[in-house]
Amino acid sequence: MRLASAALGLSLALLACAEASARTGHEADLWRRGPGAKLSERGLAVKARKVLGTSREGRGWTDNAVVLVKGGVIEAVGPARTTPIPEGYEVVDLGAKWIVPGLIDLHNHIAGGLGDLNDMVYLTNPELRGSASITPRNPLLQRAVAGGVTSVLLIPGSGTNMGGQGILLKTGLSTFEEMRIRDPGSLKLAQAGNPERWAIGVGRSLMNWNTRDTFERGLAHAALAKSGKAPEDIQWDVFDDLLEKRTQVSTHTQRYQVVLATLTMVRQGFGLDVYIDHGEWHGSKLAPLAEKIGVNAILGQRVVDPQSFILDTDGAILGIAAEYQKNGHTKIGFNTDAPVVAQEELSLQAAMGVKYGLDDSDAETIRGLTWVPALTAGIVHRVGSIEAGKDADLVVTTGDPVDPRCSVERVYIEGQRVYDALEERLW
Amino acid sequence: MVSLLRRAFLLLACCAVAASATAQAPVAKIVSAPAAGEKGGPGLALRTKKALTVPLEGRQFLDDALILVKDGIIVGLGPARTTPVPAGFEVQDLGRQWVMPGMIDLHSHIGGTFDINEMVYLVNPGLQVSTSVVPANPALEKALAAGVTTVLFIPGSGVNVGGQGVLIKTGLDKYEDALVRDPGSMKLAQAGNPEGWAIGVGRSFMNWNTRDMFERGMLHAQQWREFEQGRGPKPVENFDLQIFRDLLGKKTQISTHTQIYQVVLSTLTMVRKGFGIDVYIDHGEMAGYKLAAFAQELGVQAILGPRVVEVPTRQFIQWTGSNPEALLGIAAEYQKAGHTRVGFNTDAPVIPGEELSLQATMGVRYGFDDSNADSVRGLTIIPAVTAGIDKKVGSLEIGKEADLVIVTGDPIDQRNSVEVVFIGGRRVYDTKRDIRRY
Repeated sequence: MRLASAALGLSLALLACAEASARTGHEADLWRRGPGAKLSERGLAVKARKVLGTSREGRGWTDNAVVLVKGGVIEAVGPARTTPIPEGYEVVDLGAKWIVPGLIDLHNHIAGGLGDLNDMVYLTNPELRGSASITPRNPLLQRAVAGGVTSVLLIPGSGTNMGGQGILLKTGLSTFEEMRIRDPGSLKLAQAGNPERWAIGVGRSLMNWNTRDTFERGLAHAALAKSGKAPEDIQWDVFDDLLEKRTQVSTHTQRYQVVLATLTMVRQGFGLDVYIDHGEWHGSKLAPLAEKIGVNAILGQRVVDPQSFILDTDGAILGIAAEYQKNGHTKIGFNTDAPVVAQEELSLQAAMGVKYGLDDSDAETIRGLTWVPALTAGIVHRVGSIEAGKDADLVVTTGDPVDPRCSVERVYIEGQRVYDALEERLW
Repeated sequence: MVSLLRRAFLLLACCAVAASATAQAPVAKIVSAPAAGEKGGPGLALRTKKALTVPLEGRQFLDDALILVKDGIIVGLGPARTTPVPAGFEVQDLGRQWVMPGMIDLHSHIGGTFDINEMVYLVNPGLQVSTSVVPANPALEKALAAGVTTVLFIPGSGVNVGGQGVLIKTGLDKYEDALVRDPGSMKLAQAGNPEGWAIGVGRSFMNWNTRDMFERGMLHAQQWREFEQGRGPKPVENFDLQIFRDLLGKKTQISTHTQIYQVVLSTLTMVRKGFGIDVYIDHGEMAGYKLAAFAQELGVQAILGPRVVEVPTRQFIQWTGSNPEALLGIAAEYQKAGHTRVGFNTDAPVIPGEELSLQATMGVRYGFDDSNADSVRGLTIIPAVTAGIDKKVGSLEIGKEADLVIVTGDPIDQRNSVEVVFIGGRRVYDTKRDIRRY
């Protein structure tokens, strides 16, 4: 199986490579070898009016700062006054611009597939892989980059209860090899809302039973495999990763009862790392329990609940992020479900959160677009904030990235300048 | 639900009026007592962190301001430190919230029923959309919840002259209260949609046919003017061309759905220069910006939208006459070319009426310089001047109607939201009293 996957990866990579070099040619090469990039010997120093670091602890930003990048990695970040720039570094002064960490979307369907990511032969498909569908540098991904989105979790659709395995990717790079952050990025679970359409007679109880059964068997197999008592079985591979906490369950979960099952069955019952993805509607009522048992909430694509499904309110519009926050949840992120909401509008999801009551006084929005999803997907050691040692995924904006009046001017991924609005503005 | 409640309340109020006329029931007086700021009520003094006053000339805002409202009219305005509150005025401190004038959308189709696109003839100057108004309908109430207080409700653009628009307030539920002016405009749509009227109809034919109707209309209006000045015989009443008398008398304007380069050119040359009529670019987009300097010279205002950007197509020549090499902000292009009277519209429901301020936000995102409050002006005073209703609305100035929008901060920053809307001093929307609609 591992061999098969490597071969698949290689063939995709070859295809993508040819396509990318044909499309971007000289330019892509310049980026890859430019100062700060992986293949370059030279370092890069980027100066800006404000750098939003957004890690959990301490002050979230630095004014009049410089970010040092070498070999695709952040070397240092600090005030320009006190951070010396090593000799030979190319200095880019961005003036009044801001630098923010690359944005991360944990609910994406446009990094590939574009139509074949929703296989519906079985009701649970833990063996299917989103990685089989990747299309690097497709036009929708290019726009994602233009919106400052540098990492995404490409996941199967929610036509069945388990659509398959997601994959974590960098958006703006040219080949599958370069793009891949982690595979499997997640096991996609969709408890209700769409899978009912799989066949007449399928309702929530059967779906819950069937999903539970799949988890039981998968985890039993993983336990046996761990002690060498079971042969490799491609149907259950992902449960090895889940058992060892190398990946998470990303759950399309939204209704009260279904969010409850995410928390009680998946987190408490099976003890798996799971998060609320596609979080909306009145799942917010379970925010205290989710917070208590460490289940993060990635919210979207709906940002408000007009309460049309609920009988016990007056019909007023509620902001979903605000409701989670009011109920005490501290790990709130945002998603688009692209293309349902366009990938480049990820930051707008956060802006709408504020419009509908999310308290942003502690940079909750920018953190929900970067650090929280990175932590949630277990990739916070590489992305999600601007700190020494992390990938140099930097987004240059004309101001506060959550203010829709501001826009993205330049994007670096692993030190490569993959987008520049001054050359061709896409968004 | 709200409108039902409101209707119930109105019914009650009506009953109350009837009752007070006959029996002077004490309950009736309590129910119908006008609140502070309303006509007949005590005065209202609003204290705000920032008042975006946006007069046509001069300073565009006041910090720590006091706004005095009596009988539905703004009667005082100044710094809170130096402006005394008259006796009997109810004071409301808005804390950190801002106040701006009610927003005005000069291209709206949601003022009533959607049967406003008659296509029997190619030009229909006699049709009146005032026959289709549904006051305070749910779409208008949503626009209201976003701070839109006045709209120009106009016919569709299925034909070259769709008929007469009507200017109405969004949040008032009786036609006679909501009416600002009828005819609010004569709607002209030069190209883009009317080609679909019949096979064989193209721009040259449409231009000729429209010009012919204008010639006849203006001649009719001239004959009436001569008669009224005692210089000619009484002309035959022509119901169909009557609106040209308003146009000649500058009592209304032509609002033009105009966007393609050649078509904006004919708006400027034919309608403004040729016929000398007050006309404005409405639904302004596409390559029209290339004529911005000329429009400015002729005093033709530009109300822009629903599209806010021009997108490169990489085709050899685009049908719109524009072929930009990069993504262009339309408002920014008008501004760069020296146009100083730029406003925004939605073409609701094409863009929902409640997203009017978002049109301005997108303008800024795509390069519109907002350092002199041009985005707020483009939502208020510019459309007011354009439609000739700036004596009543469009800015916070003494003597104007108290159409006030209370926002959590800068209205162009979409992270903020509208909390309260007053129309003519009446609190017509309040998120603390009504359910939040937007």
